[in-house]
Amino acid sequence: MNLTRKRRIYNILLVLLFSISGIFMILYSLNTNLDYFFTPSELMKREISSNKRIKIGGMVLSGSVKRQGSVISFVITDYENSIDVIYEGIVPDLFKEDSGVVALGYLQNDIFEAEEVLAKHDENYMPPSIEIKNDN
Amino acid sequence: MIIEISHFFTILATGLFLLSGIFAVSIKNTEYVSNLISRTYTHAFLFLLISFSLYVWLAATDNFSVLYIASHSNSDLPIFYKISSIWSAHEGSMFLWIVFLALWGYLFNFNITQANPIKSLAIGIMSLIIVGFLLFLLLTSNPFQTILPIPPSNGADINPVLQDPALVIHPPTLYLGYVGFGIPFACALAFLIRGNTEIEWELMVQKWSVVAWIFLTIGITLGSWWAYYELGWGGYWFWDPVENVALMPWLAATAFIHSLSVSIKSKRLRVWTLLLSILVFSLSLFGAFIVRSGIIDSVHSFANDPERGLYLLGFISVIIITSLVLFVIRFSKIQSMIRIKRFSKESFISINNIFFGVLVFSVMLGVIYPLIYEYLFNQKISVGAPFYTAIFSPIVLVACIFLIFSIDSKWSREFKFNLMNLPIIFSTTLSIFITFVFIFLYEIDDIYINLLIFVGFLIIFRYIFEIYKLISAKKYINPFSAMAHMALGLLLISISLNSVLSSERAMSIKIDETESYKDLTIYFQNINLSEAYNYDSIEADLLVQTTNGESFLLSPEKRRYFTRGQITTETAIHASLLRDIYMTIGDQLDDGSWVVNIQINYLIRWIWFSAILMCMAGIMLIFSKKRLRR
Repeated sequence: MNLTRKRRIYNILLVLLFSISGIFMILYSLNTNLDYFFTPSELMKREISSNKRIKIGGMVLSGSVKRQGSVISFVITDYENSIDVIYEGIVPDLFKEDSGVVALGYLQNDIFEAEEVLAKHDENYMPPSIEIKNDN
Repeated sequence: MIIEISHFFTILATGLFLLSGIFAVSIKNTEYVSNLISRTYTHAFLFLLISFSLYVWLAATDNFSVLYIASHSNSDLPIFYKISSIWSAHEGSMFLWIVFLALWGYLFNFNITQANPIKSLAIGIMSLIIVGFLLFLLLTSNPFQTILPIPPSNGADINPVLQDPALVIHPPTLYLGYVGFGIPFACALAFLIRGNTEIEWELMVQKWSVVAWIFLTIGITLGSWWAYYELGWGGYWFWDPVENVALMPWLAATAFIHSLSVSIKSKRLRVWTLLLSILVFSLSLFGAFIVRSGIIDSVHSFANDPERGLYLLGFISVIIITSLVLFVIRFSKIQSMIRIKRFSKESFISINNIFFGVLVFSVMLGVIYPLIYEYLFNQKISVGAPFYTAIFSPIVLVACIFLIFSIDSKWSREFKFNLMNLPIIFSTTLSIFITFVFIFLYEIDDIYINLLIFVGFLIIFRYIFEIYKLISAKKYINPFSAMAHMALGLLLISISLNSVLSSERAMSIKIDETESYKDLTIYFQNINLSEAYNYDSIEADLLVQTTNGESFLLSPEKRRYFTRGQITTETAIHASLLRDIYMTIGDQLDDGSWVVNIQINYLIRWIWFSAILMCMAGIMLIFSKKRLRR
């Protein structure tokens, strides 16, 4: 009786130990692999290291889109602050000046090197944080 | 007029389903009552089916006085897109979802004999779930709303990216998979309510669960294939929240099917099987909630409406909480006293079920963590591929190692490791050799990739030897399991090699110019402007030559659809066994050159082929006489 109880306690402890360490590992890898989302204004207020992958969302500033071979450069703005973005590749079909865009990549010396550029699959899309500012 | 009839029949069906549900839970189960429930359900389903058929008829005949059809269809569309426009947005697809749920119940009702002790209760539970969703449809997202008195002369058109054959069948297949797990769920609940451990509900639902699993697998594969050639991004999986909510029930369902076979074979893991059946259906419902509440931004999500979200959340919570409470109450009664032997087949399946659980948990975390994080810290985040890769690589690897051990193990018996067994030594050496060939040939330095390739080959070789042994020395090996697991091995190899070998480049190129990329030479022949009935397009002709003399023409295209002004990319793909050459065209630059993106995707066809192979294993299992017992 005592022995089985002892064994049961050990088993429970073992299971607890494994699940806690498992959850800890999952949360750890979640935290190291998060992409933070910033608007250009939020970006101004922070220090972000050049090896941290982040997302920047805002509007494409009109007249800022320039192409150099297969490299495209443009400015993402929230109409208060803005940031230069460069990207190599084809931008999505809905990428337009004065419309919403999200870029995923790394910040290198105040220039954002995008790995991926997304335009929302909706003609009326606006990044949520900007919509609020326009209302004010 | 037809629309009112259709609407009325749906309401009528709701009432009948409610009756059938009430009969099942409130009246003592006699043969008479059981017949009554069965018949009420059948009639309810027939009314619902007539209603849906009328709705299809309305869509096919361009009845634009129906608001939903007017906003998602167009008289210029070919007939199959007119019909598929029904499931191109929220209301219609919800309607289809419910019809499928009821259809599964109908087939189940039809197939299981009246004498079955939990049949009528299971049908009753199905009915109540259907009632909940029908009320959701009628109250918050009514597809029967009309535009009166003057209907528009033409509809607003279906989204052009959805005008595609794969998209005609992708949602229905996926829905059939999702709601198919309603049957095992309802049976599990009925079993819990009856509380009689003698009832073999697992055997009853095995066939149904495998069928649902097949539909879910095909649905996900179709979606992946469609996204690959239609969206122009060139991948097969993007870890988009909506892909993830389809992956979670798939992972849980795979675990469920394994656990189910243990419960049938040796009466073990019964508690776990029950829990998994609840989990699978709950995850399917969770998927419906995520997609339809607009809580998460995604390519797939339907329009945002808080009322719908709240209703769904409420109803789904009721279902999940009720079933979990039932489970907890009955837990001790079903708990089996037979312990699982160390290193028996059951033990390996249990361990891998835990790994499946961890994967489901991680994907779930990836989906909802951004919501929690934003709520708590007011900071938007997103969880992308790196997280999922970090979780999936090690777990899948370890799970596969257990799988390999399980090949030699026996049901209900302790398994003595004998590593000095000729087939094991031979297949291991062979796999190591092949892996090293790949490592040196392609200079792969990612440790996980290498290990996954090794494990993938090892699984395949182990099974090949087992099958050989079966043929030469009458030893039994489960052919379905062998086939599905070899498909898994193939999947691992294809995904791993695809991730290290594939590459892409964007280039700017003028007409009559030649560019080269890797072993390809690309010659830009010319550009064509053309017009079709609902779009105009720019099409580039690029002649691609490989160094070994093969040459082919690729014509990527950009289309502008008239009705919505939407621009879409049509990819050009040259597919072969080893690799795809995948091209998309971008904008024209100031100097007259065009941006062209070229991707070389290795073994991508094999990824889908592996999934199809898994389905084939399932289909074989369903049609095999041996397992087919009602």
